[in-house]
Amino acid sequence: MSESVLMRPAVLRSGQGKTRPEGDRSFLAKGVIVLLGLALLATMLFSLTAGASDASVIPVISALVRGASSDNNVLSLRDSIIIWDIRLPRIILGAMIGASLAVSGAVMQGLFRNPLADPGIVGVSAGAGLGAVSVIVLGGTVLAPFIATFSLFALPVAAFIGALVFTLILYAVATRRGQTSIATMLLAGIALGAMAMAYIGLLTFLADDRQLRDLTFWTLGSLAGSNWAKMATAGPFIVLALLVSPFLGRGLNALALGEASASHLGIPVQRFKRVAIIVVAAATGASVAVSGGIGFVGVVVPHLLRLVIGPDHRYLLPASALLGASLLLLADAVSRTIVAPSELPIGIVTAAVGAPFFLWILLRRRGIVDL
Amino acid sequence: MISLSDVSVVLGRKAIIKEASFNAQAGALTVIVGPNGSGKTTLMRALSGDLPFTGRITINGHPLGHLKPWQMAAMRAILPQSTSLSFPFTVREIVRLGLTSGRSGATHDVAENLPDEALALVDLAGFGRRFYQELSGGEQQRVQLARVLCQVWQPVLDGQPRFLFLDEPVSSLDIKHQLIIMQIAHAFATRGGGVIAILHDLNLTSMYADRVVVMHGGRIDSVGTPAEVLTDDRILRVYECALKVGALPDKHVPFVLPQSAVM
Repeated sequence: MSESVLMRPAVLRSGQGKTRPEGDRSFLAKGVIVLLGLALLATMLFSLTAGASDASVIPVISALVRGASSDNNVLSLRDSIIIWDIRLPRIILGAMIGASLAVSGAVMQGLFRNPLADPGIVGVSAGAGLGAVSVIVLGGTVLAPFIATFSLFALPVAAFIGALVFTLILYAVATRRGQTSIATMLLAGIALGAMAMAYIGLLTFLADDRQLRDLTFWTLGSLAGSNWAKMATAGPFIVLALLVSPFLGRGLNALALGEASASHLGIPVQRFKRVAIIVVAAATGASVAVSGGIGFVGVVVPHLLRLVIGPDHRYLLPASALLGASLLLLADAVSRTIVAPSELPIGIVTAAVGAPFFLWILLRRRGIVDL
Repeated sequence: MISLSDVSVVLGRKAIIKEASFNAQAGALTVIVGPNGSGKTTLMRALSGDLPFTGRITINGHPLGHLKPWQMAAMRAILPQSTSLSFPFTVREIVRLGLTSGRSGATHDVAENLPDEALALVDLAGFGRRFYQELSGGEQQRVQLARVLCQVWQPVLDGQPRFLFLDEPVSSLDIKHQLIIMQIAHAFATRGGGVIAILHDLNLTSMYADRVVVMHGGRIDSVGTPAEVLTDDRILRVYECALKVGALPDKHVPFVLPQSAVM
């Protein structure tokens, strides 16, 4: 399948006796997307077998192929539970969250015309966390009607609302006449993050012991406790955001020229920005609701890809989704095995790798970015 | 035809454009001139649909307020004064953005090669793989022109003329490329499209403009052919600078006019 995709332009080329135009990276980008797709499949299979419990590759795959109710007792009951109820939901959810973190970063960077914009860095994740923590702590009292209305979906919906409100505030503060000031955006992000942390701190103070345990997990970021139920509640938000994102590519490319020029090219800019902001908020809100604050995936993944395939968002968005999913699964595999049988919160792994990378981006851009 | 009647623009509390009225015909190169701060760019932004205005602007008879962005994108393309980018796009990727609305007018198989043709037209053949951010200001300006040309490649589409709005298209260019760009604009007009350009160079204006719109203090001072409009007393009044039209400098003082170009 990958071969046919790679071959098609070559056939056209020989037919016309022409070489591919200089500076057109779409061919390369399509090839990279295919490779990233294959890499994600490999990573998922690898993750299925990696962990504190030893379950080797072949029985796992044959169990997957035959289904859970297979008569063939290749897997013990214990292994079967580990694979089906612990690892598989965690891997699928981890891939979805990695994809949504990377895509929300890429969309936000395109929207703000700024490669440093990332929901984690500019406080949007903190806003989502504030929404989620509010539901956890106040769900029995003040927010009881909210829980009653959204039942199982209360947590992702609250995180979505928090992310949406924070994105809108950030946009209102940092953007004037379609131009975003990088310095204002980062400073506004610091203020928003601090504000959210203050409220989260206050809520922590009000929380009881059981709630405290839940809260600790937000601050570190973890995929532990992933299960099919969480996927059912947060999944729709993520899937929706991921499905809409490919349609944002053309508009984000035009927006790179500035809002006025994008509009002159035929993009309905105001409506487009609203859709993009909702996609960012949905992806960020849902992933924070499930896993807490996992940082730096949204800034590292699109940046790496821009170095290879360029900034064309028609390819950058799907490539970011695939690479984000793979990288988060690898980080999760590290977090599950490095201190086995215990496990490290994944947020620690991504921050340990991502933060120095972020500094490196800053160093490289110091000359160009006018702060 | 693009038609303005009684167009006024207020930014903040200040009236920037006051009751501007003129027509820009298809098939003609209309040049807007005037001193700094006379409202040229603001008028262009109102024409482009970027600013709220009172009065009436129509493109081929359609009132501006009634058109959707993609409908306007099929009727006119706009070259801004300068464009900075924050992502590492190649030159070809930027030029290709001109095809966003999909109404270049070129047939499908030609459309894919349009960016390269447009680059060759603005004298940037072979620049496709270069990074936009690495180019000089003048080269960036020509890349943007190539992008804009892709958007309205055919000056007439479905029997309707299309328009190019150029805001100081030659301001950062050397003399050779000033002439090339003005030739492109001229050719677009002779092939049936309309061009509205803001220029500071009165010699180029005189050389290429079919009609000149002189702006002064937010008002249209006068409209006419270069010969009608470029007069000593008007230049003194509008530019507050006593210049003599057609006067030669002293002997032995070299001067170079674009009119002397052998094209």
